[in-house]
Amino acid sequence: MLLVIERDLRRFIQFKFIIILRTIWFAAQVAFFGLIASRMVVPELADIYFEFYVAGVVIMMLYSASVFIGYDIFEEAEHGVFEYLLSLPVSRKELVLGRSIGGGIRSFILVGPIIAITLFIIGLANPLNLLVAFSALFLFAFGISGMSITIAVTLKSGDRFDIFMGVLSALIVRLSTAMYPQAFVQDANQAYAAFSQFNPVTYASDLFRWGTGIERYLTMSPMPLAAIIGIVIFFFIFTFVGVTFYEKRLEGGGWQ
Amino acid sequence: MAIIQTIDLTKRFKDLIAVDKLSLSIDEGEIFGLLGPNGAGKTTTVLILSTVIKPTNGTAIVGDYDIRKDPDDVRKLIGICFQDPKLMWVSTPWDVLNWHAKVCGLSTRERKRRVKQVLEHVNMWDHRRKRIHGLSGGMKKRVEVAKILIQRPKIAFIDEPTSQIDVVGKHKIWNMIRELRDEGSTIILATNELYEADVLSDRVGIMHKGKMLVCDTPKTLKDSILGGDVVEVQLEKKVSNNVLDELKGFKEVVEVVVVKPDDLRIHLNKVEKVVPRVVNLFSNAGLPISSIRMSEPSLDDVFVHYTGLTIEEAEQKGNSR
Repeated sequence: MLLVIERDLRRFIQFKFIIILRTIWFAAQVAFFGLIASRMVVPELADIYFEFYVAGVVIMMLYSASVFIGYDIFEEAEHGVFEYLLSLPVSRKELVLGRSIGGGIRSFILVGPIIAITLFIIGLANPLNLLVAFSALFLFAFGISGMSITIAVTLKSGDRFDIFMGVLSALIVRLSTAMYPQAFVQDANQAYAAFSQFNPVTYASDLFRWGTGIERYLTMSPMPLAAIIGIVIFFFIFTFVGVTFYEKRLEGGGWQ
Repeated sequence: MAIIQTIDLTKRFKDLIAVDKLSLSIDEGEIFGLLGPNGAGKTTTVLILSTVIKPTNGTAIVGDYDIRKDPDDVRKLIGICFQDPKLMWVSTPWDVLNWHAKVCGLSTRERKRRVKQVLEHVNMWDHRRKRIHGLSGGMKKRVEVAKILIQRPKIAFIDEPTSQIDVVGKHKIWNMIRELRDEGSTIILATNELYEADVLSDRVGIMHKGKMLVCDTPKTLKDSILGGDVVEVQLEKKVSNNVLDELKGFKEVVEVVVVKPDDLRIHLNKVEKVVPRVVNLFSNAGLPISSIRMSEPSLDDVFVHYTGLTIEEAEQKGNSR
């Protein structure tokens, strides 16, 4: 399984162009959108919103980097590499779990330097909180990778996957607390709030902010237990249930 | 001793029966040629036996393992050289082979040694750091073949190893396949090249429309065509009816065609045994031979004999299946 993970990491590093573009995207979101949008809130909260937004952008990036593994699957299917992987002396479980974990780790490699910059901007309030938040974010990244793999093998079409993930990203990111606090979502619409409350991006965003200490401005919660439980459940669903589903499709030749 | 045994192996893709109740036995240490036109079911058979896809019906025992029940164990015994190289465009030959060797469990030292040795052997050492997308079709194929040479699996499935390879390269790859067999691997060679199957295989199975039509050594298959061997004899004198009758009396002779009174075409079996007797007959009859030419049937003739089609015609029909 470690070799499957290694392969995915090596492949990711080969896509330097994507890594550079993603970093530019982050810089643009923070330097342009973040700075300008934070001027729209009351002046005394502008800096806090800016930090809030930067933390949200990190999670958005982690999400999109974790989704990337699904696109890899289509590229591999196009080049026939899928058949090659299936013929190797590796069990299906190791293969799928390895890919899910590899997808999660490599998204952390991409987001790692950005998290470091973010911590530099925001400052580090409590290292223990951050450690708990990071562990949860790892689970979030693995879960999103597992979800992306599951959707990829279910849809079996690169074009459909691309459109579906575009729509899903629009829903899952916009209806989360990545860019705005839950209270504002609640004010806007109850249904939005319900969706946002049970959304892995919300859990990840809240936990990261809690880990970095930003959340203290927003809630009085000493420990976002609901977010931790939510991420763990999400991870289990898409890593283990997703893996089983994926494995069944692979064994039956359902990827063809 | 059989290392692969298939029992009514069947694979159906919607309305298409790609492999139809295939029952065959492959012995340990042999090169088994799976011969047939494109669309005959060779690659599907290879993918089923290597557990990449599941059969619809039937099963196979590979090594001591059932492909349905113990696919993980089967994969530890096998290696595949795919028809189309399975390589990601951003990788380099070194990356591909080094990772493949790791997955196949080679130690670091052995891996480095073998990857270097094989890359040199397939003339890819100088190109080892080039991206795959910058390599020619032939180079990619050599990298694909290199995988299996590094792995040296107990059972090697090699699917069309010399497509896109030039004549010199073909002979090199054939030698490598023989070396692989000599090192202890059993080789299943799927090919639509009749000559390749003939020169490499210990036994050949001819597949057509998912079915195994016939399976034996190339020589036995050729001998199975009645009158498949041809001897063309040019005499210095006209042949008499008595000599012709005596010639037709040989049990191996199927037909004697008198092209001209001094030019005969004899259709027979077991040419190597009959020709000395034919020469003696003409000599004893005082008929000097000015030239003699022998030809054996090819596997192409065998294919025509069993299917009624040339391999090209079968391919055209197979594509419209």
